[in-house]
Amino acid sequence: MSAPVPLTHITRARNGRPAKRRAQFTVNGEPVDVLFAPHKTLLEVLREDLNLTGTKHGCELGECGACAVLVDGEPVLACLVLGLDAEGRDVTTVEGMADGPALHPIQEAFAQYGAAQCGYCTPSFMLTAQVLLEKNPSPSRDEIREALSSSICRCTGYVKIYEAVELAAARMRGEEADILEEAIYGR
Amino acid sequence: MNAFEWVNATTVDEAIGQLGAASLLKAGGVDVLDRLKEGLDAPPRLVNIRTVKGLDRIEGDAATGLRIGPLVTLAALDVHPVVRKSFVALADAAGHAATPQIRNMATAGGNLLQRPRCWYFRSRDFHCLKKGGDTCFSQHGENQYHAIFGNEICAIVHPSALGTALVALGGSVELASSRGKRIVLAEQFFLPPAAALERENGLAEDELLTAIVVPPLGASARSAYTKVGEKESFDWPIAEVAAVVERSGANVSRASIVLGAAAPVPHRATAAEKLLAGKPLTRETARAAARAAIEGATPLSENRYKVTLFENVVRRTLLDAGGVR
Amino acid sequence: MGVSNGTPKDNGANGHGQTTEPVGRHPRGEGERSDSAVVGKPFVKVDSRSKVLGTMKFADDLTLPRMLHAKLLRSTEAHARIVSIDTTRAEALEGVYAVLTGRSMPITYGILPVSQDEHALCVDRVRYIGDPVAAVAAVDEETAEAACRAIDVVYERLTAIDSVKTALETPEPRIHDYGEEGNIHKRVDLEFGNVDEALASSHHVREDLFFYEGNTHLPLEQHASLAEWHPDGKVTLWSSTQTPHYVHRALAKVLELPPSRVRVVAIPNGGGFGGKSDIFNHEIVVAKLAMVTGRPVKICLTREEVFYCHRGRHPVLMRFRTGVDERGRILGMHSQTYIDGGAYGSYGVASTFYTGALQTVTYHVDRYKFDSVRCFTNKPPCGPKRGHGTPQPRFGLEVQIDKIAADLGLDPIEVRKQNLVEPHSMTANWLRVGSMGLGPCIDKVVEGSDWYSKFRKLPYGRGVGLACGSYLSGAGLPIYWNDMPHSGVQIKLDRSGGVAVFCGATDIGQGSDSVLAFIVADVLGIDPVDIRVVCGDTDLTPVDLGSYSSRVTLMMGNAAIEAAERARAPLAEAVSKKLSIPRSRLVFGGNRVFDAENPETGVTFAEAVQFAETSIGTIGSTGSYKPPRAPGRYKGAGVGPSPAYSYSAAVAEVDVDPETGLVAVERIWIAHDIGRSINPTLVMGQVEGSVYMGLGEALMEAMEYRGNRGVVHKFPSMLEYKSPTTMEMCDVVTYLIEDPDPNGPYGAKEVGQGPLLPIMPAVANAVFDAVGVRVDEVPISAEKVLKAILAKAEGKDGRYGPAKTPAVEWHEPHRVPPPWEGGDGRAIDDPKHMPVPLADPSGHRYKHDMSGD
Repeated sequence: MSAPVPLTHITRARNGRPAKRRAQFTVNGEPVDVLFAPHKTLLEVLREDLNLTGTKHGCELGECGACAVLVDGEPVLACLVLGLDAEGRDVTTVEGMADGPALHPIQEAFAQYGAAQCGYCTPSFMLTAQVLLEKNPSPSRDEIREALSSSICRCTGYVKIYEAVELAAARMRGEEADILEEAIYGR
Repeated sequence: MNAFEWVNATTVDEAIGQLGAASLLKAGGVDVLDRLKEGLDAPPRLVNIRTVKGLDRIEGDAATGLRIGPLVTLAALDVHPVVRKSFVALADAAGHAATPQIRNMATAGGNLLQRPRCWYFRSRDFHCLKKGGDTCFSQHGENQYHAIFGNEICAIVHPSALGTALVALGGSVELASSRGKRIVLAEQFFLPPAAALERENGLAEDELLTAIVVPPLGASARSAYTKVGEKESFDWPIAEVAAVVERSGANVSRASIVLGAAAPVPHRATAAEKLLAGKPLTRETARAAARAAIEGATPLSENRYKVTLFENVVRRTLLDAGGVR
Repeated sequence: MGVSNGTPKDNGANGHGQTTEPVGRHPRGEGERSDSAVVGKPFVKVDSRSKVLGTMKFADDLTLPRMLHAKLLRSTEAHARIVSIDTTRAEALEGVYAVLTGRSMPITYGILPVSQDEHALCVDRVRYIGDPVAAVAAVDEETAEAACRAIDVVYERLTAIDSVKTALETPEPRIHDYGEEGNIHKRVDLEFGNVDEALASSHHVREDLFFYEGNTHLPLEQHASLAEWHPDGKVTLWSSTQTPHYVHRALAKVLELPPSRVRVVAIPNGGGFGGKSDIFNHEIVVAKLAMVTGRPVKICLTREEVFYCHRGRHPVLMRFRTGVDERGRILGMHSQTYIDGGAYGSYGVASTFYTGALQTVTYHVDRYKFDSVRCFTNKPPCGPKRGHGTPQPRFGLEVQIDKIAADLGLDPIEVRKQNLVEPHSMTANWLRVGSMGLGPCIDKVVEGSDWYSKFRKLPYGRGVGLACGSYLSGAGLPIYWNDMPHSGVQIKLDRSGGVAVFCGATDIGQGSDSVLAFIVADVLGIDPVDIRVVCGDTDLTPVDLGSYSSRVTLMMGNAAIEAAERARAPLAEAVSKKLSIPRSRLVFGGNRVFDAENPETGVTFAEAVQFAETSIGTIGSTGSYKPPRAPGRYKGAGVGPSPAYSYSAAVAEVDVDPETGLVAVERIWIAHDIGRSINPTLVMGQVEGSVYMGLGEALMEAMEYRGNRGVVHKFPSMLEYKSPTTMEMCDVVTYLIEDPDPNGPYGAKEVGQGPLLPIMPAVANAVFDAVGVRVDEVPISAEKVLKAILAKAEGKDGRYGPAKTPAVEWHEPHRVPPPWEGGDGRAIDDPKHMPVPLADPSGHRYKHDMSGD
C-alpha cells in the first residue's frame, strides 16, 4: 500500500500532456492512492504503478480475457477499464485470492490438476471461477463452460480447468473431494 | 491511446454540459476504449458518464412496457426477471452479445451507440468512406461479414444486438439536450449511410441518450432472438434475427421481423411480415416468410452464404417466437 | 529463472490426498530402477504454486532501474527496396535515447546454418508487411511509438509474391538471392524404391489433392525481451524464448561479441507451441539498444506484431498418389507438397523435409516417393508449429485412407490395422521405429467411442471419423552440425540435503522444470520439493538445445538420469563404508539411504551427502544425452530420425448443421502411446491441449492474406483470428497406452505434439460420415461445408478442395533403395553407395526386421 501522495507532487508531464490524476480505491482489500496519467488503463495501473504483475495482458483490446480482474466483485477486463474509473471501487486481483499462506481452494485445485500449464491465462480463469462459485456453489459443466467463456486458454483445452473448478466447488461445499483418477491417468 | 483530460459527470445536466466536439462520452467504456486504443478517436476530453446517478435502472413491467436506463449493463438486462420473462428477444440479445465479462461492463446505451465493426473502418490503415475517405474498401475487398442489404454506399452491418431486438419490439430512445427531451422510434433513430455516412444514428452532438423505452407487448405476443456466429464467445454474429409474433386466434395478426448483421441499420423484413399477417404460423408459412425475408438481397463477392444463412435463421426464429417445434 | 519455489504443500498433493508421497514403500536398489516413488505419480508441478499465486514472472513482468522501452517500426510494404530512412525527427524527440536502423547490425542470422537470411533490422529490402526497419529506445512506450511514427522511410515498391503459384511463375524479382532458383527456396526429390512400378502393379490407385491453410501459434503471452549491458563488455538478454541456446549463438554473431560474454536467460514462456523457438528481430534489437544506450531496454510486442512474427504452420498444397492391394495394403505412395514459406528461411528447410519424412512411420509404405518445393513469398515467415510440417501431410494421408477404404468397400479401421508399421522395424526412408503402440491406440478409441454402432449408422447430420498420427520424441540431429550432447544436466549436492539441478531446457508450460525435478528426485530417493531447478540460462546451465521437436523429456530426462546416478554413486560408496553394508544392498528412498535387508539401518539423505563430502569433497555430477546415430545416409536423412516415435489415434463425433454448414465437434476420444508417463497429470494436460489446438486448426484457425493492400495479413487481431473458446471446445476422453520405449527415460516418449496430428483428419472424416461431403481442406469452415452440401444437392461432386497444383519442374529424384531392397541407406547416385546383398532378396514386406547399422 502506497502512502498518500501530496498533491504538490502532481506534475505536468512533458509534451504538454494533461496532468496526472489521483485515484483512490481498494485493491485486494487494501486502500491505494495512486497518481497516473488519465489515459492509463486499470491494467497498466495495476502492473506498472502498483507492481501487481499477476494480472496479464494478451491483446489489450478485450479479445482474449487474460486481464480479467474483479471490480466490485464482478469480473471485468482490466484492459478496457480506465484506471480513473476504479475510483472508489473494490478491485480484486489474483494476488488477493490466497488467504495468507493458504491457497484459495480454486488455486489449490488448479495446481493439483495442472490446470495452469503456462499459467498466463490462469489468473483470469481463477478469478472468474471464484465469482461463479460464490453465486452458484454447484455449477454444472455447461454452467462452468459458459461462465469461463470470457477467457482464452491455448494450453489446456480447458478440460483441466473445468475439472479444477469442479474439485474446488466440491471442497468449498465442504465435501471431501480429491482429483479424479481418470482425469489424471486417462481411462 | 492519446492523452486526454478526464471529467466525471454525476448528473444528466452535468453530462449534457460537457457535450461538444472536444468531448467523447464513456459509459461502460468497452467500445470507447477499443476506439481510443486503435486511434479511431482521439478526443481532448473524455467524459465519464458511468458515474451519472439514476441511469442504471430497469423500470416497468409486461403491462406498462419498460424504461431502461442507458447505464444498465447487458449482464443485468440478461437476467432481469421481467425482461427475461416478457421481452425474451431483448434478454437474449443482451445475453448473447460479446463475452460474460464484457457483458458485465458494457451498457445498454453503449451497445446501441457503438461504432461498426467493419475491419476497414476499425483499421487505421484504411481511410474509408465512413472516416471521410472516398472508398468503401469492403465493396471489393474482404466482405464476408458485411451487409447483404442496403450495402451500395457503405457495407457495414449495424453492430448492436440490442438495436435489432429493440426495432423488432417497436422500442424507442429518449434523447436529452439543453433544448429538452425527445423520443425517437428506434427504427428511425438508426440511420443508413445515405442519410448519415459518418455516423450510424440520429443522436445530435449536444444530445445524451437517457432512456430506452420498450412498449408493452400484446397479451398474445411473443418474441424471440437468434444469433449465429462462427463462435459462441468472442465473436460477432454473422446473422441474427429478432422477431415478435402476435396472434389473433389461430392466425398471426402482426409479425415483426428484424435482421441484424445484415445491413447498415437493423433491417426490417417487411415483405415477410406482410406475408405472415392473417395466416397461421406453420413450418410452411415460416419457410415462405423466410424466403420473402431474403428477397432483394444484394450480396457482395464473399458473403452470398449469408443469404442462405439468414433464410434459415429467420425461419428458426419465427418458429421459436411462435412456439412451433 | 525457472527456479523451483515449491513447498511441501505443492509437491505433496497426490491422487490419495496425502501430503507426502510414501516413497519408502517403493525402495529401489542402488544402480537399478524398479518401482518409482515419483515417476508415474501425479506430483504437482514445481512451479504450480507461483503460477496460481500470480507471482510467476514472465518476461514483460520484469523491470530494471532506468529501464528504457523499445518499439519497432515495421514495413508497410510487402516487398520493396528501402530508398532512404530519415530518423532526424525521431531522434529530436524528447525522451528518445536511441534510434537504430539496419546498417547498425549488418550481419545476418537465421535459425538454420543454411538459411542465414535475416537482419535484425532490414538493411536495403523489406520482404513482408511487418518486417522491422527501425527501432527506438525511449523513456516510455508512448514516446517510442511517437518516435517510430516520426521516422520517414521511402520505399521503392517491388512485385509482391503472394502465393506458391505466383512464386513459381515469377522468378524475378527474387525475394532472396539464395535458394534453388528464382523464388524457390528448397526443393526435395527423393525416391525409396520404384514407386511407378508399385503403383502400376497396385489393385487400386487413388490420387487426391489437399490444401492445409497456414495458422499460427497464438500464445497468450506476447513475446517480450529485456536486455542489459554491463560495462565489463557483457550483455544479458531475458526473453520469452523456447531456444535460449540458439538465441545465444545468434546474439554473439550479430553483436560481434564472444559467446562467453553473452548471456541469454529463457523466462518461462506464456505459451510457445513453436512460436518462440526462432531468433526474433526484437531480441537482437533490444540487446543492441542496451549496448548503445548503456541502459536496460525492454520490448513487449503488441498482439498485432505477434501475428507478424508468426513462424507458424506453413500453408501446404498436397497431391498424393497411393496404390494398394485388394486388402488395402499400401504398396506405393507418391507424395508431393507445395509449401508457402513466407519471407524468410526460418526452419523452412527442415519443415520441407517434414512434409514427407513421417508419412512412413504409422503405416508401412513399401515404396515411397517424395517431392517437395518450398517457395519464398512476401508474407510473415512460416516455421515450426506444434507438429512441425507433419500435420498437413498427415491430414491428407488419413483422409485418403478413408477414401481408399470407401472405394474398396473396406472398413477404414481394418485398412489401417492391416498397414501398421511393426515395432522395432525400419521404414522405406530408413527411419528406425522403436516401440509402436498404434494398434492398441486404435482399439481403445474404437471401443471407447462405440465406433461400430455409430460409423455409417448415425442419422444425417451426425457422424464419426477416425484418424491416427505419430511424432518424434526429439529430432535425431541438432540444428547445427556438431557431435556434442543435445542435452546436459548438472547436479550439485550439499550437506543440507538440498539438491540443485541445472539444465538449459526451457519451461514453456509443458512442465519441463518439473520433469527434471521428478526424475532426479526419483533416482536420488528424495522428495521433489528438496530440489531446486535452475533452467534455461546460458551462463549457469549446461546446454540443452531447447523446447522444440518434443525433445526435452526424452533427452533432458536421459541426461538427468545419468547425472543423478552419477551423483548417487559417491553417496553409496560413503554410506557403504560408514555402515559396512555392501553397495548393492543400499536403497535410496524416502529421503534416506538404507539397507534393503534391514530397512531400519540407514542414514538420512543429508547424512549420506555429508559422509560423501567428508570423504571426497564437494559433490557434483553431470549427465548428457546424444541420440543414437540414424541409419539413413542420404542427403535429407537428417530430418525424420528420432530416438522414439509416439503414436496416437482419435475418433471425433460431430454434429453438422446442413442448413448452415456449422460443424460442432461433440466429443473426441483419443489414445496416446506415451511409452511411460513421467507424470500422468502433465501427460493428460498435453493430450487435451493438443486436441484443443487440433480442433482449432480443424475448424477455424487460419492465417489468411487477402485484401486491398498487397499481401497483408487479414487483420491481425485475436478477434479476427478465430480460436476456440470454452464454447467450441469438445469433450475429450483420453486413454494412455504405456509401452516403455528402450530409448526413453523410464521408457517415456513425447506427448506435446503427437496428439494434435489425428484431430484434423478425424474431424474431416467425421464430417463426411455426417453429411456425405468431403472438405479436403483445413480449416473445415461452415462456408466450405455448406458449399460442398449445396454442390452435392445440385448433383455435382460433394467436395470442397483444391483442383490443381501449380507446374513445377521436378528433378530426377535421388534414389535410395528401401532397407528391404538392399543398399546401405545411401542414394545410388552417391559415390559411396554400397549395394548390400540381402539375406532374402524378395524383401518380404512384412519381414523387414532391420537392426540397423
